[in-house]
Amino acid sequence: MKLLTANRLTDGLTLWYSGSGWVEDAAEATKLSDDDADALLIEWKLRETEVVAPYLIPLTDTGNPVQREHVREFVRANGPTIGQTTDAVAKEHGRTAIFEE
Amino acid sequence: MPATTQAPTPTMYKYDAFDHAFVRDRNKEFAGQVARRLAGEITEDQFKPLRLMNGLYLQLHAYMLRIAVPYGVLSSKQMRKFAHIARTYDRDFGHFTTRQNLQFNWIKLADAPKILEELAEVEMHALQTSGNCIRNTTTDQFAGAARDEVADPRPWAEVIRQWSSNHPEFTFLPRKFKIAITGATKDRAAIRVHDIGLHLKPSGFDVYVGGGMGRTPHVAPVIKRDLNPEQLLSYLEACLRVYNRYGRRDNIYKARIKILVSALGAEEYGRQVEEEWSRLDKAKVDAPAAEVNRIKSFFPDPAFVDGFDSAAFERARTADAGFARWVKNNTNPHKRDNHVSVTISLKPTGLPPGDASSAQMDVMADVADAYGYGELRVSHEQNIILPHVAKNDLYTLYEKLDAAGLGTANAGKITDMIACPGLDYCSLANARSIPLAQDISQRFEDAKLTDQIGDLQIKISGCINACGHHHVGHIGILGVDKQGIEFYQILLGGRADEKAALGQITGKGLSAEAVPAAIERVVRLYLDLRTSETERFIDTLERVGRDAFAEALHEHA
Ligand code: SF4
Repeated sequence: MKLLTANRLTDGLTLWYSGSGWVEDAAEATKLSDDDADALLIEWKLRETEVVAPYLIPLTDTGNPVQREHVREFVRANGPTIGQTTDAVAKEHGRTAIFEE
Repeated sequence: MPATTQAPTPTMYKYDAFDHAFVRDRNKEFAGQVARRLAGEITEDQFKPLRLMNGLYLQLHAYMLRIAVPYGVLSSKQMRKFAHIARTYDRDFGHFTTRQNLQFNWIKLADAPKILEELAEVEMHALQTSGNCIRNTTTDQFAGAARDEVADPRPWAEVIRQWSSNHPEFTFLPRKFKIAITGATKDRAAIRVHDIGLHLKPSGFDVYVGGGMGRTPHVAPVIKRDLNPEQLLSYLEACLRVYNRYGRRDNIYKARIKILVSALGAEEYGRQVEEEWSRLDKAKVDAPAAEVNRIKSFFPDPAFVDGFDSAAFERARTADAGFARWVKNNTNPHKRDNHVSVTISLKPTGLPPGDASSAQMDVMADVADAYGYGELRVSHEQNIILPHVAKNDLYTLYEKLDAAGLGTANAGKITDMIACPGLDYCSLANARSIPLAQDISQRFEDAKLTDQIGDLQIKISGCINACGHHHVGHIGILGVDKQGIEFYQILLGGRADEKAALGQITGKGLSAEAVPAAIERVVRLYLDLRTSETERFIDTLERVGRDAFAEALHEHA
């Protein structure tokens, strides 16, 4: 399984592919089969006026990013961990952080 | 104590018609490029180098705009503009960097041209803050004020800025290029870990070439002593030409000038520079004396106020222990007896080093106008400096700063850490830097303990690129990624001053949770081992050796 992520061209904010389109909340990202994910990546790489730098995050069976990418994707999904914006997204959506730290 | 009313007359370089036109043209050009990118007329591959040339990076969560603060000198007006940008276009704060610049972390691409336009109104821009060109020249944050200064480096930094801005030959160097310059006996600009470090003395410049941090750190050797300042530019041109010709463009990890100088040897590199220099038409390159004098004329002393009511000052010190401590830790001797330079610490306990909110930026601009002749500096230690403050104004200044959360009395102390943005923002990072700095500052929150420890520099980088200067921290911390888990290597014994040395990795990597306790054990051991209170951490370390401390790093608490 994989997640598709990118940054929005206009404001650079991190986006997640939700099946029907892009969302800002990583918790709403759709877990895609590897084949679907690969096809979507090719499609979105061409749609450059909407998103920048799309890439896939491979997931383990527990739904966390594979180990090598773990911390980076945790911070990317949950926002900076340092106070000004800590867990802002999680709080906004009334839930805990996504991906276990 | 009587407050001093001062007209804000910052002594700094002012744009001439050429500068204004140049920045305006570049902004217009970039606005067009942004519009074309948004309209899909150019691809990201085409656009990326263009936005980077204008200081706009795409980081982990958003675009980041890096604004050049030439040699760290700012007017109150410029600081107020930063506050306005933080409030209007960002999330209400900015981050001061180790290159004496400012970064905004949450900028929208569509807003970037407007922001650059606003910056141009106060003679600022984001050019040459990225790419393989000559970057912002850094200098002593107390330049023009410090008692130990022999000559003011700012005019020379400005001469270099003008020469290097848009230099046709040096816009696409093998790699980025950083110059630092000091004119004091104490090196506060870390000149020996720069591509070129310049030490201005009465006899001229000592020129150090090939220093740097990153993957292969080097302390720069001296390649020329007593260079006539009038020939500075032609000599720099010769240094850069040899590098431009022979620098390793084939391998990004070997492309910095330090690799070339170390491969050739300082002597041979110096010989080649001399040869190149002898062939150069110096008159064409060196700034004419009249031009140097014109630039120097932008940096006169402010109209210093006279007098000092020492009795009132002592009363305030006795009455307010917080003030007494702040004066001791956060002021630096000034060339005028009745003035000091003040360090406004951006390292309050538990907050990200180098960050300031828009409200704090406004306060700093206001106090600069009221008590600092309208002038501020950014230090490479990520603090803000008021270079000239009359001692009569110190107590009022302290109270105002303290009320705004800017009165932390820790300059040069263990909690005055350098930390790069790390994995919380930077897309190149391996590990987080800021949370670690926050944990360490909480561990050493006790003011008494901080003062007992004395001068100790901790420097943290989130990856080998070393933006957090970990190689030259008395204690350096480097974030590494071990299969998706953050680990930190500890380096001991680095220093960035006139006795520059590189820290050595000591012991095994530690987890984030283990680092603060390990540092505390090292520090407690130092307190046991030091021969007197005046023996600083780095002195003890150099006397007893790193091995004595290695064990403490790994003891179980
Ligand atoms: S040292 Fe590495 S992690 Fe830190 S800011 Fe520089 S590139 Fe980013």
